[in-house]
Amino acid sequence: MVNSRSWPSEETELELITQAQRGDRRAFGELIRRHREGVVNVVYRMCGDAHLAEDAAQEAFIRAWRHLPKFRPRSPFRNWLYRIATNVALDVLRRERPTIGLDELSLASSAKGPQERVEEEERGEQVRRAVLALAPGSRTVLVLREYEGLSYREIAETLEIPIGTVMSRLNYARKCLRESLAFYLEAI
Amino acid sequence: MSEHVIAWLGAYHDGELGRRQVRQVEAHLEGCEVCRAALEGLRQLSALLLESPATSDLSPPEHFIAQVGLRLPRRPERPAWYRALEMAWRLTPLGLLAAWAIAQAVLVVSGATLIALQMGLGGEAAAWLLPVLTPVSAEVDLFSLSGSGLNDMRRIAGGLLSYGGPLGWGAVLNLLSLVVIGLLYWSWLASWWVRHRRQQL
Repeated sequence: MVNSRSWPSEETELELITQAQRGDRRAFGELIRRHREGVVNVVYRMCGDAHLAEDAAQEAFIRAWRHLPKFRPRSPFRNWLYRIATNVALDVLRRERPTIGLDELSLASSAKGPQERVEEEERGEQVRRAVLALAPGSRTVLVLREYEGLSYREIAETLEIPIGTVMSRLNYARKCLRESLAFYLEAI
Repeated sequence: MSEHVIAWLGAYHDGELGRRQVRQVEAHLEGCEVCRAALEGLRQLSALLLESPATSDLSPPEHFIAQVGLRLPRRPERPAWYRALEMAWRLTPLGLLAAWAIAQAVLVVSGATLIALQMGLGGEAAAWLLPVLTPVSAEVDLFSLSGSGLNDMRRIAGGLLSYGGPLGWGAVLNLLSLVVIGLLYWSWLASWWVRHRRQQL
């Protein structure tokens, strides 16, 4: 039987974490590789600036490295990282108010016509602004649920808040978004 | 169910309700247009949220990892208790060696003193030190009772017996502590070797 997986992916996450806890940078590099995208996106959804998000994601990984010996594998490593990432994002938001410009929009190629693409980008931008306008607590819960697909329990563990608070913040966030995005929702 | 299930719709939409609650909500949804519309609103909102693209401006993974690597401290910070424990672990063989040396010194010095005193080298001190050092010195006297010419040799043998035999509990404890220290030292060496091997893997 041919094993198509490369050597690093054969190491379980727990093995990598244990090695990194002992100071193994290579193992930590592999953990970064596996979680970079998720962490960057959580921070990006939280602060709305791609460059700021990448800097903040780096900061999150550095904090994770520092506190790695405190990590206990009772909960998934990803959730632990997301907790650090959301805290870093909130710190970044407190430090600076990013100005959001249309130039940061994704100009990924699309098969659709120019008019349609502009509309789609405009809609995406409005959604991003609406999410950024939410209170940080609600925004964090919404990002972890809608974009990262965490369960209520996982969000509660990640943010160290009760499940009831997760539900109320999520309901509040959705209510606000339904109002601010009513124009686009009616058009669907 | 006559009341609306608006409050449950978010959890229903997220797949967070128990089986019984799901059945209740679904039964209600069949006959309630208001709640069906609210659920549809939630679905549309989720779909709309996903239209906001994730950041496409990511640098290549290698670059990102290298950037983080440049800013990383040499080792993860360990809590103070862990550092103290690790220091204690490293100092364990030194402590054991020191304990072993002390036990040996006590063994040698007390043995030598005892023999010296019994040979009468201690002068007047022997008179009041001997009963203290050999509470059962009567056993030694058994040898001296024979009164032969090899008096000195017997005294030495008596001294050794009284020290190392069943007469000297101090000596037994001393020897026991040496054995325990030896065992602890070898266990430490064994666990160090195991740990070292594991780190190499």
